[in-house]
Amino acid sequence: MPNAENAPAQTQVDQAIDWLVKLRFDTPSPRTERQFQQWLASHPQNPQAWQRVSSLSDELAGLPKALSRRTLDASQRQHSSRRDHLKLLALLAVGGSLGWAARAPLGLPQLLADSSTAAGERRQLQGSDGSRIQLNTASAIDLHYSSEQRLLELIRGEVSLDANANDSRPFRIDTRVGTLGTLDGQLLLRENDNGLLLAVRRGEVTLFPASPSARLVQAGETLQVQANGSSQAVSLRSDPWGWTDGVLSVQQMPLGEFAAELARYRPGLLRCADEVANLKVSGTYQLADTGQILQLLTRSLPVRVEYRTRYWVSIDAA
Amino acid sequence: MQINDTLKPTEVALLYQSHHAWLSSWLRSRVGCHEHAADLAQDTFVRVLRARQASPLKEPRAYLSAIARGLMIDQFRRRALERAYQESLAHLPEAEVPSEEHRLVILDTLERLDRALQALKPRVRQAFLLAQIDGVSIAQIAQQLDVSRATIERDLAKALGVCYRLRYAER
Repeated sequence: MPNAENAPAQTQVDQAIDWLVKLRFDTPSPRTERQFQQWLASHPQNPQAWQRVSSLSDELAGLPKALSRRTLDASQRQHSSRRDHLKLLALLAVGGSLGWAARAPLGLPQLLADSSTAAGERRQLQGSDGSRIQLNTASAIDLHYSSEQRLLELIRGEVSLDANANDSRPFRIDTRVGTLGTLDGQLLLRENDNGLLLAVRRGEVTLFPASPSARLVQAGETLQVQANGSSQAVSLRSDPWGWTDGVLSVQQMPLGEFAAELARYRPGLLRCADEVANLKVSGTYQLADTGQILQLLTRSLPVRVEYRTRYWVSIDAA
Repeated sequence: MQINDTLKPTEVALLYQSHHAWLSSWLRSRVGCHEHAADLAQDTFVRVLRARQASPLKEPRAYLSAIARGLMIDQFRRRALERAYQESLAHLPEAEVPSEEHRLVILDTLERLDRALQALKPRVRQAFLLAQIDGVSIAQIAQQLDVSRATIERDLAKALGVCYRLRYAER
C-alpha cells in the first residue's frame, strides 16, 4: 500500500539516489561525506528519502551473489527469448501469413537464429567481412559493422571468433565483463559464474583496451577474467575449443563438473548426486547426442542415470 | 500526490456485486482451474481497492480484466523466476543453499530486480549488475565497458530509480 501522504517528493528521491551512487558504489572522499551530511540537513524530506533509498540498497546488497546472478541471468534469458518470438511475429506479419513461412525454404528456427541458439544447438556464421563465427549452445550475439569498426556483442553464452585479418577495421567485442579488441585474433569467449573465459588461438587480443590496465593476450593463452576486471591464466580439465568440432573433450574431470558441462547442452535439469560428484571422467564425447553420453557414463563409472522426466535427469550411485 | 483518488469502498462493493461472477468465469476460462480463478478474482478486487483511479469507471469490465491480466502475468513471471532460482540452486554447494524462510525474501527481492532489469537498456543493466551484484567499482566498470564514469553513475542512478519505483510506488 503506498502511503502517498508520507512519501518524499521525487526530487528528494532523485537526489538521494545520486548520493547513494556516490557513497555506496564508490569510495567517497571525506569532502563528499561532509557534503552529504549537509544535503541531509538541507530539506525536511531528505532524511526520509535517504532512509528509503538506502534500505532499498541494503535489501539488494543482502542478496546471495552467485545464486542471484545465475537466477537473474536465466530469467533475463527467458525474457529475451520471448522478445525473439515477438520479433519473429513481426517478421511473419511482414511476410503476409503463416502459410508463407511454412512454405519458405527457411524454417522458423533459421529465421531467428542468425544470432542465437537454443540449448543443444550450435551454429556457424560468416560476417560480411569474411570473419568466421561459431555460436555454442544457448548463446546469442549481435554483429554491427560500420566503416570504422567491426563490433561483436556477446549477449549470452559462448562464441568463437576467427577475425579476418584482411580487413583493416579493428574488431571490438563487448562482453558482460567489458570490452576486448583484436585485429586478426582467433579467440573463444565463454560467460561463466565468475565472469568470462578467454582463450586465444591465433593473433593477439587486448583485454579492456580503454583501461590503463589493458592486457595483451597472446596466442596459446587461456584466461579467466573476473567481473572486477582482474584476470588469471587457467589450466582447464577440458579442451575449451572442443565444441567447435562438436565434441566435449575432458581429462580427469570430476563427474559433478562434467554433468554441469553436459547440462549446458540439454534443456531442463541435469543433477549429479554428491556421493558420485568426485568420480573422474576422461575421454572425448560427441555432443550431438548427450543422451548417449549419459549412457556411456553408466558403463565406465559406478553410476546410474535416472530419467525422472525427460527434462529432469539425475546421475546417482549405481 | 492526492489521497482521495482511489475508488470509494461503496463503489468497489457495487463493482464486486455486479461483476464478480463475470470476472470469475472470465478468469476460469483462462487459467482452467476453479480455485485458482477464485483466488485471482479476489486479488483483483483487493488491487482495485488500492489502485489510484478517478471514479466513476466508464468500462468496469475492461478495467477489471486489465488488472486480472496483469496479475496473471505477474504470477507467470514469478513462477518462471522460481524455476530459474531452483535450477540455479542445483549448481550451488549444499552449504550455500538459503533457508526456506530466507528463500522467500530473496525471491521477492529478485522478482523486483528482475522486473527492473527488463525495463533497462542492455548497458544500464550490465553496469547495474556489475556494481550491485558483483560489487565492481564505478571506475572499474567505466574502464571495462569503455564509457565515462559519469555515464556509469547515470546508469546506476537510472537503474536504482526503477528499483525504487517498483519497491515503493506499487501495491
